[in-house]
Amino acid sequence: MSAILTLPSKGRLKEQAIEIFSNAGMPIELPEDDRSYAGKISGIKGIEVVFMSASEIARELIAGSIHLGVTGEDLVRETVARPDEAVEFITHLGFGGADVIIGVPEAWVDVNTMADLDDVASSFRSHYGRRLRIATKYWQLTQNFFADHGIATYRIVESLGATEGAPAAGQADIIVDITSTGSTLRANQLKILRDGVILKSEANLIASRPALENEAVQELCARVKASL
Amino acid sequence: MEQAQALHKWFVERGCAAADVDVLQPADPFLETAGEDLRRRIFITSNGVGDMLCLRPEFTIPTCLHHIKHSIQTPCRYSYVGTVFRQHRNGKNEFLQVGIEDLGNHDASKADVQSLSDAHAALAKLGVDNHHTVLGDRTLFASLVSAIGLPKGWQVRLLRCFGEADQMQAALDKLKQNGVIASANEMPEWVVAGDLDLAEAEVSKLMSIANLPEQGGRTAREIAARAIEKAELDATRLEGDALAALEKFLEIDVPVKDAVAALTAFETDTHIDLGQARADFAKRYKLLAQADFDLSTISYRASFGRRLDYYTGLFFEIYQDNDAQNSIVGGGRYDHLLSMLGAEVDIPAIGFSIDFDRIKAKIGKGAKS
Repeated sequence: MSAILTLPSKGRLKEQAIEIFSNAGMPIELPEDDRSYAGKISGIKGIEVVFMSASEIARELIAGSIHLGVTGEDLVRETVARPDEAVEFITHLGFGGADVIIGVPEAWVDVNTMADLDDVASSFRSHYGRRLRIATKYWQLTQNFFADHGIATYRIVESLGATEGAPAAGQADIIVDITSTGSTLRANQLKILRDGVILKSEANLIASRPALENEAVQELCARVKASL
Repeated sequence: MEQAQALHKWFVERGCAAADVDVLQPADPFLETAGEDLRRRIFITSNGVGDMLCLRPEFTIPTCLHHIKHSIQTPCRYSYVGTVFRQHRNGKNEFLQVGIEDLGNHDASKADVQSLSDAHAALAKLGVDNHHTVLGDRTLFASLVSAIGLPKGWQVRLLRCFGEADQMQAALDKLKQNGVIASANEMPEWVVAGDLDLAEAEVSKLMSIANLPEQGGRTAREIAARAIEKAELDATRLEGDALAALEKFLEIDVPVKDAVAALTAFETDTHIDLGQARADFAKRYKLLAQADFDLSTISYRASFGRRLDYYTGLFFEIYQDNDAQNSIVGGGRYDHLLSMLGAEVDIPAIGFSIDFDRIKAKIGKGAKS
């Protein structure tokens, strides 16, 4: 049985992922039909190629239903609390870089670190009668990071888009979001806490743990690593 | 389960109201009081109209909510029995609990001792004889941090770490280094100047540039005040004596019969007055000594507590045999919880719960009436 390699199905991520495999001497052949999601890989035996959305790749890798994938580290770490039990991050691929960060209003001149945020969060209720609210789509990453800093006194408000606008809209006090250049944050008068980078994410080659036994998977991983 | 039911019935016979708590509870009160982190430790679900519900992770909050909703007269003691549900990484997720919540008794010492006494009587009834109780008292620590002249920011910070050894140590280490919370040089000049009105006006400007709502979030005045306080703290150093006193206090771990003497000796050595908190502790001890306890099974540990901001005052856990890790009973005073949950008047409260699953096999052998 062939091992399944999944690649992002659209955009810059797709193009850059394909380039990685070309450079490693294993060119990817795109499906002839635009509506088909099955591709081909040459220069290596025993691997099939399937295109999927980046977040599905993260989910299916963890479920173990695919063997290898290229997707963002943030998506995998957001899907489960302890991803390393299910997958192995083989290598960073040098593209798709973005940081998951904590952004607070620039007007909060008294808050520059997580320790400051801890102070503000823990007295929030007595000042304002409610918990500090964080807008994010990154539940898992936020909870893990705040727990690591010993902060429990906050609430998450789910935000699936335009998260950086949540403080101005009164939906939340601060945000946890992804940023690559920081310009959207600045445009919304938000600043990143000095120790508030939760994850420096980029596209990774990732293997489902059980697939590490597979020889074709091992060969593919080794060749990609060697080509970087 | 039969024994748990029997114990509950016994509590009811002794004057408790039977708390009737649904298994399915609104999740919000738990998350509001314990914080978002609890989400990972409880089981959350939702109904068809999107209300977030959870399997009850404990009985205290639902009992208090019931009490508030029905405006029941205080004082009132409740007994409960049933399964609670929590996520555990390894092992089971369902735990059988029996316990008592004592709401609205304004004689705190008396209610504290009653709670300890009920817990001990329950264990005797269950035939658990080899057990050890550890007491802590958050009020004493609060009184200490305020008495040694720590800046307000640090008082709050240390109190927040109370009961968490690692975090307390980290905070003390930081205090030891230089006593600095933040450096003033990252503050704008108009903060360092220290004029609250001026700083408030400047923060207001920043808020309006960002279109932050004027209502509902942090106010410009609170931000400005905290920023000024932070800038001032930069200049604060904690005297070596005060630090030594903090550490000395946290090391106190004595049989309860020696606790008052240990606290008095601490006050004499350090010239720190623990004031009302020590007097209340002594008063409670006097009642404890008069009650029917084997005092040799109880100890007082100054650093003992639980890090939840609705806990106040006395906190205790009871351990079976020589197991110092897994308590079979946990209890404590939570004077702030009912107002956090919406009670319009202050309702002091204390409660304990017995974790039936943690009690080792002895159950059933020596049950006496």
